[in-house]
Amino acid sequence: MSELSENECFYMDKAFFYAKEALTNQEVPVGCVFIYSNQIIALGRNTVNETRNATRHAEINCIDQVENYCNDNNLNTLVVFSEISVYVTVEPCIMCAAALFSLKIKKIVYGCRNDRFGGQTVFDVASILNPVTELKGGYRGEEAMELLKEFYRGSNPNAPAGKAKVKKN
Amino acid sequence: MDEAKRIKLDKEHSKTENNTLYPVLPDDLIIDTPLTDVYVDTIVDPKKISKIIKEINSVLPLPQLAHLKRMKSKEIILYPVSLEQYQIINLLKEKTIDTSAFQNNIRIIQVAKIPPMTRKQFEKVNKLWPCNFHPNNYLEKLSTNTLFSHDELRSHSRYMKVAVDVAKFAKDNYYSEEQIGAVVVDPKRKSVVAVGYRQTNKGVLKHAPMIAIDNVAKTQNGGVWNPLLNQDTKIELNLDGIPKDLLEYLQIQHNDIVFGAQRYKEKDELIEPADGPYLCTGYYIYLTIEPCVMCAMGLVHSRLKRVFFGAKSSNGALETLCKLHTVKELNHHFEVFGGLIKHV
Ligand SMILES: [Zn+2]
Ligand SMILES: [Zn+2]
Repeated sequence: MSELSENECFYMDKAFFYAKEALTNQEVPVGCVFIYSNQIIALGRNTVNETRNATRHAEINCIDQVENYCNDNNLNTLVVFSEISVYVTVEPCIMCAAALFSLKIKKIVYGCRNDRFGGQTVFDVASILNPVTELKGGYRGEEAMELLKEFYRGSNPNAPAGKAKVKKN
Repeated sequence: MDEAKRIKLDKEHSKTENNTLYPVLPDDLIIDTPLTDVYVDTIVDPKKISKIIKEINSVLPLPQLAHLKRMKSKEIILYPVSLEQYQIINLLKEKTIDTSAFQNNIRIIQVAKIPPMTRKQFEKVNKLWPCNFHPNNYLEKLSTNTLFSHDELRSHSRYMKVAVDVAKFAKDNYYSEEQIGAVVVDPKRKSVVAVGYRQTNKGVLKHAPMIAIDNVAKTQNGGVWNPLLNQDTKIELNLDGIPKDLLEYLQIQHNDIVFGAQRYKEKDELIEPADGPYLCTGYYIYLTIEPCVMCAMGLVHSRLKRVFFGAKSSNGALETLCKLHTVKELNHHFEVFGGLIKHV
């Protein structure tokens, strides 16, 4: 695992900022930023509970933002996606990995593994989609995992009581 | 009518209805039960059989093979082939098992490694070596494609026809590319909760299933893409999950189908915790085409109960490229059925 550059560390910092914001808002703490020609063009976090839509992961929210950015700046969406690097605190899930791979994203850098839904850990999406995307993880992984644990220790306030875990104080 | 008779009738019905629907099952229900090698010998003195079984079961139990009977006629399982043959002989001596009754013709045979799950699997491995089998009625019906009654099959076809009409209408009115229809149904209330069709001209993520999921969210005061306004707050069911012009068209085509979602309740309105709709819990989705990996996982996240699709797709993730719903590590599993109205 190579070290991250100074810029990359800054991007990861940003991603963590949004992950923490998610936790404050009782969302699964995952944050990410999308970088295109050394600029952050999309940033965000999970909004599943807020939108009552289980697909609104940080990466999905960012993909929508990139499309708006392209429309506003008259850029070819597919070309832009193929030059984007993604910095995300948790390994993208199967859904997000499939979306990012299909968009031919250049690179994904993530923090901790996603033991529940990971697009590499739980089911190897790359083995069936043969992506061009470079995927590497393990950057500030423990910190990212700690955020997830903190979330799952509490209860998800929007899940039906029977399914939510009992809150331990 | 008794149960057996009713099932028989249903089976005949589904045949006569030219039922093309099939379940997409986990591999371990379809493939033959895996086999493993064991040492066996023959007991020459039948009078000693019961004594030897007792002895060998207590000193050389086979906890990994508890689904197997110890004897087949005069043959007895000694041990798995994890040990060498001389070690087995030593072991028998060590444990003071009376081997004088054995033919001393130790050989290796194949038996079921794990308990068979379906009757079909059971019948195969039971021929190799007698095996215990506890049939699971539901799995049995699912794996033999006899789960649905005649009426249920008709109902699934009807909802799939709605999905086909969603695709047709979308193609004629919104986006002339090859269209895909998605219909989410609440099987408890027997109503269409939301619909979706492909809008990839408006966004790379806007596949029909993703749109349908977002439209379900709209019936729960959520949703992200092109929020709709409440269409009619007076009626009992919420219609936010279906675009207005499409709803009018579908209502004309399918005047026997109910449209609308259970009214969303905020947390403080809930009488019971499981009272209100939560994501797509308990819902069925009907898709004219098998979903891709992204959409299939979106459906898992959304906790659908069943997924029905019409035709297979070259990038499909529920049968063609993989069977995502059978990944054991996932925390939610829905059932998948393909082949429901293939030709759109
Ligand atoms: Zn995701
Ligand atoms: Zn899709």
